[in-house]
Amino acid sequence: MSEEIRAKASSAGSMLNNPRVRAILYQALLLFGLGYFFYSIVSNALNNMEARGIKSGFDFLFTASGFDILMTLVPYSATSTYGMTFVVGLLNTILVSIVGIFFATVLGFLIGVAYFSNNWLIKRLSVVYVETFRNIPLLLQVFFWYFAVLASLPSARESLSLGEVIFLNVRGLYLPDLVGGAGSSIVYGSIVVAIAAIVFLKKWAKKRQDDTGEQFPVALTSLGILLGLPLITLFIMGVPFTWDFPELKGFNFRGGITVIPELMALTIALSVYTGAFIAEAVRAGVQSVPHGQTEAARSIGLRENRIMSLIIVPQAMRVIVPLLNSEYQSLVKNSTLATAIGYPDLFTVFVGTSLNQTGQAIEIVFMTMAVYFVINMTISFLMNRFNASVALVERK
Amino acid sequence: MRVFKPQEAQPAPEETMGVAAWIRANLFSNVPNSIATIVILGLLASVLPGLIDWLFIQANWSGNTQADCTNDNGACWVFVSAWMQQFLYGSYPTEELWRVNTGLVALILVIAAPYALPKHLRNTVGVPLFLAYPFICAALLDGRLFGLEFVSTDYWGGFSLNIFLAAASIIIAFPLSFLWALGRRSDMPFIRSVCVVLIEFFRGVPVLALFFMGSVMLPLFFPEGTNVDKLLRVWIVLILFMSGYMAEVFRGGFQAIPQGQYEAADSLGLSYWQKTLLIIFPQVIKVSMPNILATFIMLFKNTTFLLIIGIFELLSTTQTALTNSNWLGGHAPEGYIFVAVVFWVCCFGMSMISANIEKKLDTSHRN
Repeated sequence: MSEEIRAKASSAGSMLNNPRVRAILYQALLLFGLGYFFYSIVSNALNNMEARGIKSGFDFLFTASGFDILMTLVPYSATSTYGMTFVVGLLNTILVSIVGIFFATVLGFLIGVAYFSNNWLIKRLSVVYVETFRNIPLLLQVFFWYFAVLASLPSARESLSLGEVIFLNVRGLYLPDLVGGAGSSIVYGSIVVAIAAIVFLKKWAKKRQDDTGEQFPVALTSLGILLGLPLITLFIMGVPFTWDFPELKGFNFRGGITVIPELMALTIALSVYTGAFIAEAVRAGVQSVPHGQTEAARSIGLRENRIMSLIIVPQAMRVIVPLLNSEYQSLVKNSTLATAIGYPDLFTVFVGTSLNQTGQAIEIVFMTMAVYFVINMTISFLMNRFNASVALVERK
Repeated sequence: MRVFKPQEAQPAPEETMGVAAWIRANLFSNVPNSIATIVILGLLASVLPGLIDWLFIQANWSGNTQADCTNDNGACWVFVSAWMQQFLYGSYPTEELWRVNTGLVALILVIAAPYALPKHLRNTVGVPLFLAYPFICAALLDGRLFGLEFVSTDYWGGFSLNIFLAAASIIIAFPLSFLWALGRRSDMPFIRSVCVVLIEFFRGVPVLALFFMGSVMLPLFFPEGTNVDKLLRVWIVLILFMSGYMAEVFRGGFQAIPQGQYEAADSLGLSYWQKTLLIIFPQVIKVSMPNILATFIMLFKNTTFLLIIGIFELLSTTQTALTNSNWLGGHAPEGYIFVAVVFWVCCFGMSMISANIEKKLDTSHRN
């Protein structure tokens, strides 16, 4: 009997029953399949590109692009290279992402906190906002702001204005520009110094409280440093700033900062849409803190505002931050919708125009994908760092 | 002699129930609250009447052409009703529309089948029907396989296309993403890394970039001379995109299953696939159902992005209608409101269903 079993064990059939052998077999099959797949698409791609006369490689990045871009943050003209086009698009993408993330966060936190208002109307409005904007496709919202709202603004001559300083018309939003003269860099530098001082102060105050139990009014002192130091330097340097106001000259405004309607529509749509999701995350975060925490904090005699900042917010952040991470990433990915209304982000100028002109689909699409990947990795890295600082530290 | 002196009757307690008390507690509990209430009511009063007037009371409801929109102070719903067939079916031939409707009804039947079928038929009939649905439906719309008149995918469009694409993608993505999620948990290093790369790639890249990959790069990868239909390429991209997200949802589901379930299945002597499909899968589905629906809602909304690569789904049809030379009256608000309402009803409905399922499936295994 036992010999029979041994005899079976040595046969080829039971070799397949050995999990280790099977694992190697499966992986070898997958490797072979993938290898064949990549071999065939690469050879097909090479054949196809040869047949269509498409060059490959990254030489096109150094040739002149021959087209102009609506909005550029760095000097750019039609004689600039495709490499420059890439940089301009990338900067525009980063601009809309940062502005969008800022407004989405502010809006999201406001609406999310409004849900906990003891005013029934405010609470309902918060729910209506979230359910409305979450359930309507983002592209439709972009179109709505661009074609229905911003396109119906008055012309330049009949601009809406705020104190004759800020103007809004169908061609965009015109803001005054702050022009720094000699010595302005010292003022900027003093802001950096103030921030560094606050970080240092916070560390020192925490150490002192841990050691002696004495508290230090960090928030008030920080505010004082942040406002005081730059203000003092500002007056010592003799206010080296002037305002550049937009002015109506002929048919259009000159001077100041111009925000083109494409950028406005995209930013509004992204902020409003992502804000709805962030509001939902904030609501979930605050709800995840058990009510017993508030009661316990009250019973040890904390004031109401200290309960919020010391007990509720730190615990809610543990739930909120991972959700924020994915919302920020999806905002960056959704900013590619710029291409639908012609805001010159990376996608529009690179995957749109440059690809059309050069035909180098593979290089361009992969470069663009890599950029979004890197941006999202950066966001993820920063948010994970932040998350580690708010995460529950358990006893080891 | 002591005289009994009854205590004075106390005043009635402050009202805590009824309309007046509710209003006091929820709208006017203190000064800032009262101010907020008045400001909000004032804003609503200034906006709502005009909006309702424009939307309903002064709106133009009947007619077929722009000339029928006589009242400029009201919305021109004639625009929507005149384009209704395009909005729903694209340019699909009118006499063949029954095929689209059959497809939509079949979709409902396929989804409802597991609830309606007797228990022993669910796995043998319900699941294969579910998985075969996209192919049968595509063949029906195309028509050649069933000997019907051939309708090229160029004519497919409208809101039905949004529904078909989203449904067909998630149905195929279901088994595929489950495999990816299993692969990501596998002990075999090569399989695991392939799955990780696949999932992270399709999640980390903007869906628009994927659509462009499908429309400009994929044709380069096929052998010379093969012409793969544009809609088919879009379908493939949507399936892969959806699989990336769903695999992560399933991974979350796997993590929620206690280790004891695996050990119990092993000790019963079940094989890997028996263990996975009979013990683990039903529990994973249960915990991940709300997230699957949330992912589906995202996919459904994202089908509007297909406008950018020239697929005539609902939003794209609306844009075409808005630029039509017979309708140049600036009907953007009406068109967008219609599309918004259609999507809102569908997405909100699904999120309600999701919340319902969550409640129903919650057998409170949680701590």
